[in-house]
Amino acid sequence: MAKRRSEKIQPMKVDERTGATVYKSECWNCNAGCDATVWVKDEKVIRIEGDPSSPVTKGTLCAKGLASKDILYHPERLKYPIKRVGGRGEGNWQRISWDEALDTIASRFTEIEQKYGNDSIACITGTSRGWVPIITRFANAWGKQWSGPGVAQCFAPRAISGFLTIGGLAIGCADYGSTQCMLVWGANPVTTWQWKGAAMMEAWGRGAKLIVIDPVISETASKAHIWLKLRPGTDAALALAMLNVVINEELYDKEFVDRWCLGFDKLKERVQEYAPEKAEGITWVPKAKIIEAARVYATTKPACITQEVAVDQNADTISTCRAIAMLAATTGNIDIPGGNVFPMPLPIRSAFEPEHALNDHLTKEQHERRLGSQEYPLLSGKFNFFPSAHNATLWKAILTSKPYPVRAIYNHGSNILLAFANTNIVRKALLSLDFFVVVDLFMTPTAEIADILLPAASWLERDMAHANLEVSYNTVHLQQKIVQIGECWSDYKILNEVAKRLGFGELMFNTEEDYCDFVLKPSGMNWQEFKKKGILTVPITYRRYERDGFDTPSGNVELYSLTLKDMGYDPLPSYREPTESPVSNPELAKEYPLILTTGAREPVFRHSEFRNIPVLRQIWPEPRVKINPMLADELDIKDGGAVIVETPRGSMEARAWLREDIDPRVIQVPTHWPGKSNANLLTDNESCALGIGGAQLRCQLCRVRRG
Amino acid sequence: MPVMQSEEGVNGMLGKILLVDIDKCVGCYACEVACKQENQLSLPSRWCIVTRVGPRKIRDEMHLDFVPGLCLQCEDPTCSYFCSVDAIIKREDGIVAIDKEKCTGCGLCVYGCPYGAIYIDKERKTVGKCSLCISRIDHGLEPSCVQHCISGSLRFVTQEELAEITRGMHLAVRGSVCYTSSKWKLTL
Repeated sequence: MAKRRSEKIQPMKVDERTGATVYKSECWNCNAGCDATVWVKDEKVIRIEGDPSSPVTKGTLCAKGLASKDILYHPERLKYPIKRVGGRGEGNWQRISWDEALDTIASRFTEIEQKYGNDSIACITGTSRGWVPIITRFANAWGKQWSGPGVAQCFAPRAISGFLTIGGLAIGCADYGSTQCMLVWGANPVTTWQWKGAAMMEAWGRGAKLIVIDPVISETASKAHIWLKLRPGTDAALALAMLNVVINEELYDKEFVDRWCLGFDKLKERVQEYAPEKAEGITWVPKAKIIEAARVYATTKPACITQEVAVDQNADTISTCRAIAMLAATTGNIDIPGGNVFPMPLPIRSAFEPEHALNDHLTKEQHERRLGSQEYPLLSGKFNFFPSAHNATLWKAILTSKPYPVRAIYNHGSNILLAFANTNIVRKALLSLDFFVVVDLFMTPTAEIADILLPAASWLERDMAHANLEVSYNTVHLQQKIVQIGECWSDYKILNEVAKRLGFGELMFNTEEDYCDFVLKPSGMNWQEFKKKGILTVPITYRRYERDGFDTPSGNVELYSLTLKDMGYDPLPSYREPTESPVSNPELAKEYPLILTTGAREPVFRHSEFRNIPVLRQIWPEPRVKINPMLADELDIKDGGAVIVETPRGSMEARAWLREDIDPRVIQVPTHWPGKSNANLLTDNESCALGIGGAQLRCQLCRVRRG
Repeated sequence: MPVMQSEEGVNGMLGKILLVDIDKCVGCYACEVACKQENQLSLPSRWCIVTRVGPRKIRDEMHLDFVPGLCLQCEDPTCSYFCSVDAIIKREDGIVAIDKEKCTGCGLCVYGCPYGAIYIDKERKTVGKCSLCISRIDHGLEPSCVQHCISGSLRFVTQEELAEITRGMHLAVRGSVCYTSSKWKLTL
């Protein structure tokens, strides 16, 4: 029976119509973190709505957020700690107390550490629900290596490129409010990022131009004035060709470039290698369209770029992301109203502060021993805010004990078996562990092979003050605990209590409230005071570089990067052909002639989550592979019919979705479906992006046949 | 069925109009889930349902559109002729409401609706359909689908606002619902 806890939380209002008491909170069904209202009656949550008082969402909320009540009260929620009895993955579990769970975790980890050494235990986490700083802190305080939520192929390439080039995360922060032109690159915000989608559509409605770069006509592309249908994985060539047009046609902002951009002449020389006609051959985008898009973006002022995960999953993500950032920089669209802005400094402890994540707590030797740190220094080194182990290297270490054995994993909220490339290898690695702890909301395929399974609280069951650029550029949002389900604990409480048992509790927090107070400290408020206030907003200011310069080593925009040069990488952006493509590997292409692109999201699901929520599953009942009708005709594949997709790694099954918008040489496979429909049964994790180690999930080779 | 189209205003209705701008709909499905939650619908009932049209090629251009479908609140609702217990009421503000007390759940009206907008709720032995969130609008709120529409495709507007917003656009009006587009000619 769910009960609201006795501690008083302040309602926004009592709703006359429904008789419900309405509380303010923040939806974290994804990391967009939208303000929401929670309606409670008779100690039960009866509905979740958008928050009309929110300056960010203006009352909207997406399909996933609106289904939160169904997630909260889902009969299959994990409600108490359980332990495996019998063989791994056989599905036999026994309920245990939190005390027994924590004691077992502490004793097993200690045993393994004594037997195999400190590095034999790793922490893994799923995509952020606001807990990345605290789980990083947990791993660092414990002295264990941490493998981020696939950061190598999501966020880190954008973020690190941003810091290397323009000194920050502006390419993740489009200022839609006053923009006249939106360039959307490898993203589909209208169905995946509700508040950004809403702001984009508002700009679209008042006539702002929309340019979308996507191999299929996504929901966002369906509204585009210019849609560039590129060959998956060739984003860098396209960006460099657009830079070629901007520079050669002198459409760039001369004043800004002269004053702030280092290495413009070298860039100018480099982009001569990427004339639009040459790029047409690489990207399959007609030359005229490349030129048109470059002209419209460069001459419509102000213009902003929205670039998300697709760009983080090709052969040279750093080059790609840097080239895109350079489009914004050379056209003078950085940190201006309607351009790309830097997130505002907020009066709370940022996730990136060393005293928050305790990055400095690991010794130099520990940083160097981190798996993958030699091959992927950008992922593992000081340029990543949360230096991370390389996951494919981690699986290898588990399977071969080289360079050292890894025998146990603490997994906080990642459905590893669906989320990481090459599932067959990942499964083999996880099954061979001595000890595997999973924290989750549901019995996921990954949870099924755990030894101890801990029940996590959903966003309706925990307190937090959140702020990051995914949620908004200038606000701190309130999330408050409304109900208690079973014996579920918040992420913060679980991490604090595990730390106490393992003997480093003093480096974590005694209670969840202590952590909230810690995060809020710079604001001068404590948690109780912030709860009364409900939201904290600072005004957006522009052109901060005029006073402070850019946050790069030189204080300027670094088109030519000495940092990259010193590390042995190309100091200028260039195009690198995907490791598996008809161009780079014609031999393999004889057997696997089609380009496989994975990772496009479906509107009602969040990564591997919510396929068990009936109201959402009804809308999107099954995984569908996008195939051009011409190709389907050749292969005798019918719309809605079963298909099998194969690569040298494995095969997966799904239904065919015949669509004229996709190139006949490409198929697009949806990700994160469980069982035989898991796209990562197909994907390679050996050939990774330069320096940062991301899997090339958007551009590999495959073949398809009728199922 | 006569198609009632009007360039200005809608049939002397007193209430506000649900405007559906299909140029703006992005197919995010928030309206569907918002509707289900607000009206506590059983799973099979989809009073608001978004249809994907395409992607399809028209004159060498690729198009993908989304059309939210729901009860149009017809002026002279055909469904009401099928109801033997007079449970379907046309309110003064234009809304076609179902009197749950009177409804026996026989389901004849489901066949009477030319738009497939009515659903049987077997558990509650009643039929149901979109009534523009009557209880919300009676309390001065917008329908839930309108509040949660991210693209501004769904709006709840007065006759004057409707005329202003849709000037120069194609319209298809019936009852209290107006579909509009600059891109496509529309009929209902």
